[in-house]
Amino acid sequence: MNTGILRAEGVCKSYGKKQVLHDLDLTIEPGKIYGLIGRNGAGKTTLLGILTGQNTMNAGSVTYGGAPVWENQAALDDICFSRELSPTILFGQNNTKVKDYLRSAACFLPHWDKEYAERLVREFHLEGKKRICQLSKGQMSMVTIVLALASMAPLTILDEPAAGLDVVARERLYQLILEDYARTNRTFLISTHIIEEAAGVFERVIILDEGHILENCPTEDLVSQFAYVSGHQEAVDRACQGVTVLQSQHMGRHLTCAVRGDMDRLARQAESEDVDVAPMNLQKVFVALCGHDDLQGGGGLV
Amino acid sequence: MRGTLNDQSLLYLQIAAMVEDDILRGVYREEEQVPSTNELARGYNINPATAAKGLGLLVAEGILYKKRGIGMFVAAGGAERVREKRKRAFSDSYIRPLVREAQALGLSGQELAEMLREAMGDTEKGESV
Repeated sequence: MNTGILRAEGVCKSYGKKQVLHDLDLTIEPGKIYGLIGRNGAGKTTLLGILTGQNTMNAGSVTYGGAPVWENQAALDDICFSRELSPTILFGQNNTKVKDYLRSAACFLPHWDKEYAERLVREFHLEGKKRICQLSKGQMSMVTIVLALASMAPLTILDEPAAGLDVVARERLYQLILEDYARTNRTFLISTHIIEEAAGVFERVIILDEGHILENCPTEDLVSQFAYVSGHQEAVDRACQGVTVLQSQHMGRHLTCAVRGDMDRLARQAESEDVDVAPMNLQKVFVALCGHDDLQGGGGLV
Repeated sequence: MRGTLNDQSLLYLQIAAMVEDDILRGVYREEEQVPSTNELARGYNINPATAAKGLGLLVAEGILYKKRGIGMFVAAGGAERVREKRKRAFSDSYIRPLVREAQALGLSGQELAEMLREAMGDTEKGESV
């Protein structure tokens, strides 16, 4: 699929006095699956809204294929941001019927594939007559997934599609995305809190922390920079020379450190010490980078 | 192939190791086709770029080769190359951790050698050592 590069530069956003996004730069290249991870309140949904011309910003620019996204019909035709649904809107219940929600989506999304949408609705056992406020959390996610996939938009953005889904449905979600991606090679940007099971799906991962982009790089390149080192505290300290210690947890004389840096160097140093070096997964990397001081005494480090 | 991926090493390395295992087991013989990037991606729910990286590693090592527009095949001598590669890694992967554990337990070199001989005797069905 022929798509442009989505580029955000110097994006700042505040709600009242609270600044949510800080001078943020981000590039989304076509034909890749991106994962967007960040803690609650990190600014993920705000960022996605700004990237797709649905939210205003205080400073900065967002372009798609070189042209500003804001009120740019040609760019917006190529982009689908499938928002999380909520049982309430403004002053009351969200009484929109599922079939009406999808029908209105079809009006705004020129690449819409009606048969694909119908197939997915059947697969998820969604009832078109039901109102959104009557759906379970998982069913609401399914509606957003139908909308995103059937949009056939060259740049498709899903916000928390796994929320409320049971484990079987989540597996199916990743399968559907990968099957679609194999067919269309379109760009996906997917935010999630259920990190580990989605990690393998993401070619690149973006970590958003307190309104700053901490990382935007190939998932495995990132994960391979991290490890746990554990053993006698003095041996661990010696083994960890020259790498960055992100978190440490003492239990008596036993020390476990979450470290980042040159893993070859770490392996050489660990060779001569009686310490264990264990790899991290993406979820642990995320905790090491974004856990800050919220985990008491480094609890749950390993 | 092993049923599942774990988080003990990078996914593309696990994909490469699984294909190697199956070459050693004769699941894929020389000049036979191995699963495609998309089949692996679908089978393990991983990004096709990751699967491609795993297969690419084996191509670089001369274990697989690519037929343009058709897919990946086991190279002539591919199984032997896998064996050579695994032998080179054998010390780091198995012997050093074994020796480290033996030292932590205070086993002497002789005791360890005796245990190894015994274990090999078991698998070689009483072959004299």
